[in-house]
Amino acid sequence: MPPNLPRVSASVAMPKPALQQVFDNLRTAGFLLIGPTVRDGAIVLDEIERLHDLPFGWTDQQEPGRYRLKKVPDREAQYFGFSVGPHSWKQFLHPPRLRLFSGEKNNGSWVFRAPQEPAPHYAFIGVHGCDLAAIAIQDRVLIGSEFRDPHYAARRENVFTLAVNCGQASSSCFCASMKTGPKAAAGFDLAMTELPDIFLVEIGSEAGSEMMREAPWEAATAFDLGRASRVLQRAEKQIARQMQTDDLPDVLYEHLEDAHWDEVGARCLSCANCTLVCPTCFCTTVEDTSNLRGTAAERVRVADSCFNRDFSHVHGGNIRPTIKSRYRQWLSHKLASWIDQFGTSGCVGCGRCITWCPVGIEINEEVNSIRAKAAK
Amino acid sequence: MSTAFASTELRSPVDPMLPRLATIQGVKPEAYGISTFSMSFVDADERAAFRFQPGQFNMLYLPGYGEVAISLCSDPATPQMLGHTVRYAGSVTRAIGRLKPGDTLGVRGPYGSHWPLNSQAGTNLVIVAGGIGLAPLRPVVLSVLRRRDYYGRVLLLYGARTPADLLYTGEFDAWREGGIDVHVTVDLADENWKGQVGVVPQLFYRIRVDHKNTVVLTCGPEIMMRFVIYEALARRIPKEAIYLSMERNMKCAVGFCGHCQFGPTFICKQGPVLNFAAIEPFFGKEDF
Amino acid sequence: MPEQTHWFGSFLSHLSPRVQEKVLALGEAFHYSEGTTIFHEGDPSLYLYIVKSGQVAIDVHVPSKGRRSIMTAGPGDLFSWSALVEPRIETAAARAVEETEALGIKGGALMDLCREDTGLGFEVYHELAEVISARLIATRLQLLDVFA
Repeated sequence: MPPNLPRVSASVAMPKPALQQVFDNLRTAGFLLIGPTVRDGAIVLDEIERLHDLPFGWTDQQEPGRYRLKKVPDREAQYFGFSVGPHSWKQFLHPPRLRLFSGEKNNGSWVFRAPQEPAPHYAFIGVHGCDLAAIAIQDRVLIGSEFRDPHYAARRENVFTLAVNCGQASSSCFCASMKTGPKAAAGFDLAMTELPDIFLVEIGSEAGSEMMREAPWEAATAFDLGRASRVLQRAEKQIARQMQTDDLPDVLYEHLEDAHWDEVGARCLSCANCTLVCPTCFCTTVEDTSNLRGTAAERVRVADSCFNRDFSHVHGGNIRPTIKSRYRQWLSHKLASWIDQFGTSGCVGCGRCITWCPVGIEINEEVNSIRAKAAK
Repeated sequence: MSTAFASTELRSPVDPMLPRLATIQGVKPEAYGISTFSMSFVDADERAAFRFQPGQFNMLYLPGYGEVAISLCSDPATPQMLGHTVRYAGSVTRAIGRLKPGDTLGVRGPYGSHWPLNSQAGTNLVIVAGGIGLAPLRPVVLSVLRRRDYYGRVLLLYGARTPADLLYTGEFDAWREGGIDVHVTVDLADENWKGQVGVVPQLFYRIRVDHKNTVVLTCGPEIMMRFVIYEALARRIPKEAIYLSMERNMKCAVGFCGHCQFGPTFICKQGPVLNFAAIEPFFGKEDF
Repeated sequence: MPEQTHWFGSFLSHLSPRVQEKVLALGEAFHYSEGTTIFHEGDPSLYLYIVKSGQVAIDVHVPSKGRRSIMTAGPGDLFSWSALVEPRIETAAARAVEETEALGIKGGALMDLCREDTGLGFEVYHELAEVISARLIATRLQLLDVFA
């Protein structure tokens, strides 16, 4: 066992229990570990400490409008044998509730103060390729545009990313079409592929290398690399869903008044589930409150959804009063306008919106329908 | 006129969501339910440093009530004193309406794009405003008056619902004397009104334009702007020579909350002043 | 051939020279001082007017609300097309807002001419349709009360 740390870009093999050493290193370094865990019949993201907090032996079955967990036979049990659940990492980087500032009235004059709490140091455990891409997309929106969100920036700076390469795909997944998976491509500190006996770990950064201290790792053999590669291929083969992207944004821009929007508008409940589970949706609103005497006030930023009826309210009414118009806004933003705004699609192909839609609307099928009518 | 979007010069305040304190210096009633509030920053450095371009807006914050996006209507050449004409339409604007000189409020800005005032020398300007839409165009008028010789013919076509709803009427004579051809109309009047009656787009029938060298700047209810644009296009003014100021729900003014999007355009960043040619594919689409 | 003058407006200036000459031949000059009522709602509509100079308000009297001006006609604008549309009764009142000169074209005579000379008839009603169409579009906007 080499006493020194693995090189950046190296691939190393590590016995699976040794992942606990990595966890311990992270905690010693002051990170708060966030990772997948089973709760309420789903695999959610929450604080974890030990390997057994992970969903060992669980997998998920996903279809449009359906999500179930299933226990796998012991000999196939894995720590990371599942696709993405309803949570994404955005709730930690872009919290759904955040106090922006408070104000106090002294002698008739207001003083405004921004909160001085230090940002947490998160270690994200088990980030799938699609979610890595989603984080990069939110980076462009919130810290890569004309203005910079200091709250997102502070949290983002401190994040340690331990990604996993997927060994399986759910029926909702279409990361391959969006070129975001199943391999975790870039932007990680460590990326692991789970094999029956080892984790094959790719070192992505100095920070990642540091966290391997005292973990029993060895240089990966060709055999290990071959096995890992086949795991990825298995995942790729399982991806059945596809989204054609070469004619976006134009195919949507040119058919904003197509009759198909009425059809999907009649199915959509405007429940906002898709925007809640989508790892790139970033819209927020603000709540302004004060005490009864009007001498103290507070402004809180709260997650919002373009499906909410008053999202587009101007004096006199809502610009988008119908569900159809709001669905069109969401879809055309996610797949078309986003490209003009930020240079990439807003969609990473994680499939969450398909799984968590109560009426099972499938985002790629909706685009196909518009495309098919356009071709006529 | 060669850029797709009206030019955007953005200043990013230190903490984009933290308001700066300002004091109300004066309140001037303009029409029923509309007043202009003059204010200045409390901090002397902020007062001295603030600059804005015609067409830009500030977010005015009433603690406990909320924020609202209001265009700057004052002279950009004297930015130590800021003017905002506010129409009482919701809870925040009504709370602003209760402010008196000496009261303080929060101000963030300036945000957004501005009217293009540096086309080639000799360009004719047709400024078309409806209702409170004249407020974001008033800084244009004031700026034009400061260097009138730079422009060719400058016309202001302005209308409101009734004579009592017209803004800044006390200034029109001075504007005419400064070389601006001011035409005013109302939708509805009684026999005491000696001016024109008819909708704002009809004012195009009163004027002649040189379509080869004219820029149209328009602000008002979106449907009014739609018909103004029809009239401008009918007179062969090129799409790229038409600019409009659009309004959408705004919560942050810095492109993060997502509310102000109009297709790919963030009204708070690429707008509110937009070039018609750039947004034509989306403009006028129902419920968009 | 009559000269094109600046006050002709689109109705007269779009007529072919032959037709324009015949129409103008039916014209009479009218002069109104400020405040004069040119005609009342319900009056027989005798003339098609084109404003040469000044301004004419078209008023509708609303019970308990008084007179409302719904439109003003300036130089070049046409008003009282009811002279060419049955039953040829004024549908609103007209009042000179300021000192006004107008050309009045005898409606009855023009209609007779249109029947005899169908080529002229087509041109006259074609131009009239354009004027009324533009007026209707403007009226829609007024109806929508966009400033409310």
